[in-house]
Amino acid sequence: MKVSLNWVKKFNEISLPVDELIEKIGAQLGAVDEVIDLGKRYEGIVVAKVVSCEKHPNANKLKVCMVDDARAIKNVRRNGQGLVQVVCGAPNVAEGQLVAWIPPGSTVPSTYEKDPFVIESREIRGVLSNGMLASPKELALGDNHEGLLILDKDAKPGDTIAKVYELDDHIVDIENKMFTHRPDCFGMLGIARELAGITGQTFSSPDWYKQDVKSQLPDSQGVSLGLKIKNEAPKLVPRFCLIAVSGVKVKPSPIWLQSKLSRVGVRPINNIVDITNFLMLETAQPLHAYDYDKLKTGTIGVRLSKDGESLKILGGKEIKLDGGAVVITDGQKPIGLGGVMGGADTEVDENTKNIMLECATFDMNVIRKTAMRYGLFTDAATRFTKGQSPLQNIAVLLKAVDAVQKLADGKTASKLLDEKTNLPELPMVKTSVEFINSRLGLELPGESMKKLLENVGFIVQSKDKQFLVTAPFWRTDIEIPEDIVEEVGRLYGYDHLNLKLPVRDLTPAKLNENLEFKSRLREILSRGGANEVLTYSFVHGSLLQKTGQDAKLAYQIRNALSPDLQYYRLSLTPSLLEKVHPNIKLGYGQFAFFEINKAHSKAHLEDDKSKLPKESELLALVFAANDKAAAATSGAAFYKVRSYLDFLARELGVSLEYSAVDTESEEQVMKSYELKRSALVKVQGTQDALGIIGEFRAPVIHALKLPLFSAGFEIDIEKLAASAKAARDYQPLPRFPKVEQDISLRAPDKLSYRQLFDFAQKTLGKIKPKNSLVLLEPVSIYKKSENESHKTITLRLTITSYERTLTTAEVSSLLDSLAKEAHSELGVDRA
Amino acid sequence: MRYDNEQVRAAAEQLRGKFESLEEKQAIRRAPELTALYEQIKTMSPEKRASFGKEVNALKDEVEGWIKDHNLPTLKRPAIDVTAPLDFNSSKPELLPTELGSRHPLMSELEKIIDIFVRMGFAAVESRQLDDDYHMFTSLNFAQDHPARDDYDTFLTHEGLIAPAHTSTMQNRVLKQYKSNLQAGRAISAVIAGRVFRNEDLDARHEHTFYQLEGLYVGKDINAGNLMATLKIFLEEYYGQALEVKTQPFYFPFTEPSFEFALSCPFCKKKGCNICSYSGWIELLGCGMIHPNVLKEAGIDPAVYTGFAWGGGIDRLVMMKNGIEDVRNFHSGNLNFLRQFS
Repeated sequence: MKVSLNWVKKFNEISLPVDELIEKIGAQLGAVDEVIDLGKRYEGIVVAKVVSCEKHPNANKLKVCMVDDARAIKNVRRNGQGLVQVVCGAPNVAEGQLVAWIPPGSTVPSTYEKDPFVIESREIRGVLSNGMLASPKELALGDNHEGLLILDKDAKPGDTIAKVYELDDHIVDIENKMFTHRPDCFGMLGIARELAGITGQTFSSPDWYKQDVKSQLPDSQGVSLGLKIKNEAPKLVPRFCLIAVSGVKVKPSPIWLQSKLSRVGVRPINNIVDITNFLMLETAQPLHAYDYDKLKTGTIGVRLSKDGESLKILGGKEIKLDGGAVVITDGQKPIGLGGVMGGADTEVDENTKNIMLECATFDMNVIRKTAMRYGLFTDAATRFTKGQSPLQNIAVLLKAVDAVQKLADGKTASKLLDEKTNLPELPMVKTSVEFINSRLGLELPGESMKKLLENVGFIVQSKDKQFLVTAPFWRTDIEIPEDIVEEVGRLYGYDHLNLKLPVRDLTPAKLNENLEFKSRLREILSRGGANEVLTYSFVHGSLLQKTGQDAKLAYQIRNALSPDLQYYRLSLTPSLLEKVHPNIKLGYGQFAFFEINKAHSKAHLEDDKSKLPKESELLALVFAANDKAAAATSGAAFYKVRSYLDFLARELGVSLEYSAVDTESEEQVMKSYELKRSALVKVQGTQDALGIIGEFRAPVIHALKLPLFSAGFEIDIEKLAASAKAARDYQPLPRFPKVEQDISLRAPDKLSYRQLFDFAQKTLGKIKPKNSLVLLEPVSIYKKSENESHKTITLRLTITSYERTLTTAEVSSLLDSLAKEAHSELGVDRA
Repeated sequence: MRYDNEQVRAAAEQLRGKFESLEEKQAIRRAPELTALYEQIKTMSPEKRASFGKEVNALKDEVEGWIKDHNLPTLKRPAIDVTAPLDFNSSKPELLPTELGSRHPLMSELEKIIDIFVRMGFAAVESRQLDDDYHMFTSLNFAQDHPARDDYDTFLTHEGLIAPAHTSTMQNRVLKQYKSNLQAGRAISAVIAGRVFRNEDLDARHEHTFYQLEGLYVGKDINAGNLMATLKIFLEEYYGQALEVKTQPFYFPFTEPSFEFALSCPFCKKKGCNICSYSGWIELLGCGMIHPNVLKEAGIDPAVYTGFAWGGGIDRLVMMKNGIEDVRNFHSGNLNFLRQFS
């Protein structure tokens, strides 16, 4: 919302210096995005009188003018009479005119922002020109570049142009979001009122801005133009007012008006359109002017749009309507998208003689939908979506008629038609001094509150510190006592609040175990040299396809700006795999990525009644090494990534079990894994798998350009957390020395490592000396060649007794017994 | 592939033979036959160079193709014994060195922030990443079709579910969950952290995916001064220095009154620096007194209890603290970025 301080000052004396005022606006009205000191653009530009104007000796289209600036500008070459010579190419330049002169050294205002063009004295076709005479466009007063700006106001040569047309202005851009609930603050009048409020002044609205002021206009002053309203959408258009004006002269607006519009970024068009825009900018109430003679009938309809209808909007674009928007019709076809944009077929142009003015109130929700549906985010739509008050329609329309009569010589040609239903009562809120103070933590006296509210138009009836507050008619946002609290707090100034901490008891806040656990995971894995990554929750459909996942199970985003954000991901691994190749390309030889995040699938809903998708809490890790780094590593990638999961499990005090995957699963998390080189991960002694670990399928490796040495795991965090221990498995310290001995067993390849290891562990548990501590660890697995049918597994036994020193012979015989058992039970021989 | 140029044809022949016998197939890229051809391009006249260069490049592509085909995952990978902790004929795999490991800066910062609030007596809750309209909007006093919804540019699924645009999507749940605190005469105090989404185009300052932390405090006689004091004490603890704070009025449907909260720049002590755009102030978060309708919706009587809430982005805090230039780095998965936080 661009606010012109000069415009605002028309309603209200403001004595604060600009910078202090801006600070106050920030603190008590809303965030200021930008402040533009407009006056700077016009520095040095003065009013000059064209004293003489002759043809340029060397150019047909140029004139040589002598201008009088009453010697206002120093350091410029003058003739004997003190006049300055300026060459001018404008067709409309003539003797006797008052014009705007940009002297040498000043900047052309329209170029000030982007690429400042500083005027210098220079010869034009052999004749010296001291500066230039400016067109409205060059002065940033609209688009007109056909000729000079000829001053239309009393002014003296030498006056600054900024002063004459209020261009010594500050434009304050206040964030629109601040005013989402403040319809009135989309007009200069409303801003002026708020500025009065926050500076402790009492504001009086101008006389013409009254609730439902009575029309003093004669029904018609000559010509009578037929006009009727047929409102078929009274719920969405609670008030619709029209009046016809005849005999208007459409022409450019006076420059003061063009200046006002231009300053806040609205392009001047012609006097009629400019008047509607001017009043919208001033009161926040949008208006629209139609060319009466272009209407098919004088019966103006207000109804919902019909599917398939079309409308040519201002600017000439044809839009196909569907149902649901409010359209204004001329009894035959739509002539405007109500509250959003007018139609091109009934546009006011230079030939227009008779007009119809509309001032209405549209439902904010339907305007919002229409603006979004057709992408028409117009100034009118911006204002209607804040909920403009229907109680201001008549006042604003009468003011518009008045302006049309003054600036375009029009005469009223119809009654003021006022079609209305169920207009709102003024909102009344009961509250109390105590309530307001308790919410703000203040001890303001009731009188001060009353004054603050009355300054901006509230009516406060007070009795025994109880308030009955009536909101002014332009406020549609006041409903509950908290709204009054906001009003008082803001007008008083939140910087005066007492900053006191709330008092609470010593009950400790419950720790969030899930968050704590995830923090632990992070700490452990980063200690293992892995890097935590965050990747998007959304994935491209092609990633699902590349990793073999079923897009039908994924929640699809219907309004994503980019196809990269098509689906909610089904698991984390694909997102991590996508990050592998770019890092290999960056030159990283080997790395482990992990992510702790959530995934969603249509196959899994929350256990509660919410019907919401289950938010699976997952941990995924991917290890990758380029060929060079892989060559320096022994063993398959599977074992590398398993060492990470083993490390994690050890740190968490969880014993994991890895078992071969026998059957294809529908679990999407498993889809990218090569099953014959993958394992299901379980907590020992449980049935339910935590997740999967393994290498990736060939097509996945291929599609995502993974190095061959890559593997990963993805597990369910909640299940893992359930088994994690807070404390370590501690063993009391034995006083006697430990004995270490290895045993190598040659086993057929189809006997798994675990079968053998578990057997050894169990057997040793049975035959170990009483009250001793047994630790069995892998040393190596040896195969003569890859296709060899047998392997040799070497295990290391570390044994300590709590009672005595064990002998080597004793331990050897223990292992002999183990070997014997293994032979008879498993058919395994000692190597 | 047939090459018109004799030299290229000959080189291709030789390279083919060499590739078969090579142990490390990648090495073919550095084969002298190939380098020689490239050297030759440089010395040729411009008119010959074009066609010759084309052929050489085609040959290079062919060679790349061999490497690719060789690596192609018609991988003959046998099944492995997944129950073993190590591969056969291999040593036990080692983890990468600890000094290479890192936690994501957003996550570690979030942990630090949550830790301060936990010390202040706030329970921590995590936000959902996929939610319904009720929690995202309706329970927060957003009327159906209310224009205020436009400010949130939400992602929607075909089912009408929403990628939450703020952690406030958890407010209703948290209020309900801790309502019993009020009955026990204690306040509700909780922070909500999580990933949120806005349907925005990406650039150095805009992300569609980012992190927020939200806070709630509900009790008896809670006022706006309490809100300011709570945020101030948190920020002073976080930045380890005394700070000034100020507010600007704002609008949120779920708080009344609503504020935008700013602190004096902790990086320049209000002198003005590029972090605070030389204003001396940093606008940090939105906050306000919880709207009575929000309390009512959670079954809390707003006539008895009042409360405040706030919410702010984590990404910006981390960017300011570390001087991170581009918000997109966070989700880039780029090790150049991540390993700076080892």
